[in-house]
Amino acid sequence: MGALAEILFGGLFQGSLYAMMAVGLALVWTTIGVFNFSHGVFMMLGAYLAWQLVAFGLHPAIAFPLAILATAGVGWLLQATVVRPLIGRANLVLVVVITTLAAGSLIENGVLTIWGPRSKQLPPLLAGNTMIGSIGVSLHQIAIIVVTPLILWALWMFLTRTRIGLALRAVAQNEDASQLVGLNVTALYGLAFAIAAALACIAGIFMGGYRFMSPVMGADPLLKALIVVVFGGISSISGPIFAAYLIGFFEAACSYYFGLYWTPALLFAVLILTLMVRPEGIFTSRGRGLA
Amino acid sequence: MTDMNKRVSGAPGRTSWQREAVGFVLGLAVLAMLPLVFTDSYSRHILIMAFIYAMVASNWDLSLGYGGVFNFGHLALFGIGVYAYALLTKLAGMDPWVALVASGVVATLAAVIVTIPILRLKGIYIILVTFGFAQLVMQIIISQSDITGGTQGIVRIPGLYIFDHNMVRDGKIGYFGIALTLLALSTIFLRVLVRSRIGASIVALRDNEEYAISRGVSLVRQRMITLAASAFFTGVAGAFYAAYQRNASIDVFGMSLATIVLSMVLLGGTGTIYGAVIASFVLTVFAEAMADFGAWRPMITAVLIILVMLVYPSGLVGMIQAAWGGLGGRLRRPT
Amino acid sequence: MPILSVEGVTAGYGRVTVLNDVSLEAGRHGNVGFFGPNGHGKTTLLRVISGLLKPRSGRIFFDGEDITARSARAIVGTGLIHVPQGNRLFPDLTIADCMALGAYSARARPHEAENREKVIELFPKLAERWRQRVRTLSGGERQMVSIGTALMSHPRLLILDEPTLGLAPKIKDELCASVLDISKGGVPLIVVEQDIEFLLELSSQLYLINHGTVATEIKPGESIAHSEIMSMYFGH
Ligand SMILES: Nc1ncnc2c1ncn2[C@@H]1O[C@H](COP(=O)(O)OP(=O)(O)OP(=O)(O)O)[C@@H](O)[C@H]1O
Ligand SMILES: [Mg+2]
Repeated sequence: MGALAEILFGGLFQGSLYAMMAVGLALVWTTIGVFNFSHGVFMMLGAYLAWQLVAFGLHPAIAFPLAILATAGVGWLLQATVVRPLIGRANLVLVVVITTLAAGSLIENGVLTIWGPRSKQLPPLLAGNTMIGSIGVSLHQIAIIVVTPLILWALWMFLTRTRIGLALRAVAQNEDASQLVGLNVTALYGLAFAIAAALACIAGIFMGGYRFMSPVMGADPLLKALIVVVFGGISSISGPIFAAYLIGFFEAACSYYFGLYWTPALLFAVLILTLMVRPEGIFTSRGRGLA
Repeated sequence: MTDMNKRVSGAPGRTSWQREAVGFVLGLAVLAMLPLVFTDSYSRHILIMAFIYAMVASNWDLSLGYGGVFNFGHLALFGIGVYAYALLTKLAGMDPWVALVASGVVATLAAVIVTIPILRLKGIYIILVTFGFAQLVMQIIISQSDITGGTQGIVRIPGLYIFDHNMVRDGKIGYFGIALTLLALSTIFLRVLVRSRIGASIVALRDNEEYAISRGVSLVRQRMITLAASAFFTGVAGAFYAAYQRNASIDVFGMSLATIVLSMVLLGGTGTIYGAVIASFVLTVFAEAMADFGAWRPMITAVLIILVMLVYPSGLVGMIQAAWGGLGGRLRRPT
Repeated sequence: MPILSVEGVTAGYGRVTVLNDVSLEAGRHGNVGFFGPNGHGKTTLLRVISGLLKPRSGRIFFDGEDITARSARAIVGTGLIHVPQGNRLFPDLTIADCMALGAYSARARPHEAENREKVIELFPKLAERWRQRVRTLSGGERQMVSIGTALMSHPRLLILDEPTLGLAPKIKDELCASVLDISKGGVPLIVVEQDIEFLLELSSQLYLINHGTVATEIKPGESIAHSEIMSMYFGH
């Protein structure tokens, strides 16, 4: 009983963080067809911006939304400078990998210069601890588990029920036809990047609330998000969400039964096996498209 | 200079064997003379690092530029070379030179293993899987800290030797010679390979997969060959790096090293081999020149990489060509 | 005054020049037809007109305004609507989604309900499949969605690029009839077609596009025999 509760809780918690990160990667890939390697850096930057605003004395309820907006703005800017001008290049995917990596390194070193290497911590979403059955958990973790599905649901509603969401899905499917119905493709690309950056910032705020922050804190979540999208298929939004939770549970079970030591290796083995059977991920249909 | 430019810009197979050989020997001779000019061990250290980068980058160009296989785990092959050498010499007590070659073999085997999951994949999925592979090799090395030292790394790794020449107090001339020899061997290997029939079929597969397959080129075999061939000297370079630095750390798996080497490949212009070698020299020397900028250095480098990618789609080669074309145009205009 | 005039347009892709100094005019009344061999630049010309491809030189006027430098989106905003060749559209959107997208521009939005009525009247079949994804529709139905989406954009001038391409004869006749209906409804058309008879029925002015230039122009009022067109088409 205790084992099950622990795995369930751990899986939901990790899955929430992974989903938050992976959805942003998938959103950018489906709309623009590029892979944003600075996504982990967005997460880190978001956490630092939030920390700075809190340090200025703002209440987290004001500081966090401001940080999310600011990170979204950086996402927009990044798209306009290192992605948009390259659209149409023959080796777009490759060149954007290098420009987003370079931009990521720029931001990472900028953060290091501004805030220094000393670790920092954000206030938790909810302070305090509680017991679920026999395991002790923090309210911050519970808040993450509850808030994440709400945010993902809101994103889903935005994409499927609003006019702008419809436009984003359209751009993902056919850029020329989108222009011919009068969509502002440039703005929609920027919007996709901005939303992805905002989601990464939220993940950063989640993480900064229970772990020490550092300029390289985004690297590991980016890696996990990569594995999630490989696993779930990158060409949709729902695939990575399911895959994120699945991998969360898998990791929780592995570390419970085999220990943290072997979890990465096991995860990789499962990943390779999956790809040999289903090269485009397990939850994917053909083609590129949101939703 | 003219000769250099031709070598860089000439498409593979265009320049005749003889001309390329002459250019190669000339280039090699110039590099071999450098220690006469740079007599201090610090400058020589920079040159040795440039040679190591050049090996890694030019081998990456084989899989990325010629093969069109987006192997983002290339630096993991380098890292595997580093750790293979460290473990073989330190734990297994193997002779350093044997371990150097064995590390290349280990990296080649690792490349064959990565090839299996990506055989049926395309584009972005290859990037994701190979990137994941690199990160997981790192995770495994960190988690197996009993033998790998985890995040602490491995220190006091045995170095290489040349008979009873003193490698420590020779102003680094010994390591300089070895590095240059390895780079020369690696470059000959790569150039011979890309000019061969195998090279032609690798390019054919990259440019038109369906057509090449219909003409009997095997995707599986070709990808395997491309990645394995790009791995051997990368692993050897890793082993040499470990022997030279005398320590191993997981930094070699980090994003920043991968970014720098990848920019060498892309700045050099893909599909030339020489482009990557030249870009490695340029970037290494450039990074050194900026040492005074301290924390600003990586930021300036990042901005410059972005600018070159934005302005010159084909990298430094395109930049050289554009400059050359502009010059040629200006010279020709009066007539 | 012509509603659309193209003056000395040269355009292409990369180093390839496809259109070479093309000039033509489309009248305010009466439709215009383009025809010509495959690959000689008809689609390219339409892409230049609708702003998807910027010309290297030359100018384009729509209703007296110079639209050469405007973005495709701004051109949609003026009411010049282009239905591209090949009904690839948005495979994973439903018909309802496509119609909503058609009315995306600020100009078309106030007329959304009224235009939707018109589209359903013109293509009753679409109403039956309203919530079905485009990728699951037949070729004819997809073409109806393409044209319907364009009508939702409240066109002042509608450009159709080979609307009947690849359709079976019966469906093709139905679609031709619908296109004639649209024209009768008062929207001027520019149509690219391989079916000369349909073009002759529909338009009062024809241009033969050959090797990226206007090879022959047939003015309104000039009556021409079918055999003459065939000889233009197949050379002298
Ligand atoms: N995106 C593109 N990139 C490069 N060349 C192109 C592109 N699109 C078209 N072309 C070339 O431009 C030329 C004209 O093509 P276009 O599509 O305009 O012809 P078309 O007259 O519409 O032919 P069809 O009747 O077959 O539709 C062709 O040679 C074609 O190969
Ligand atoms: Mg056409």
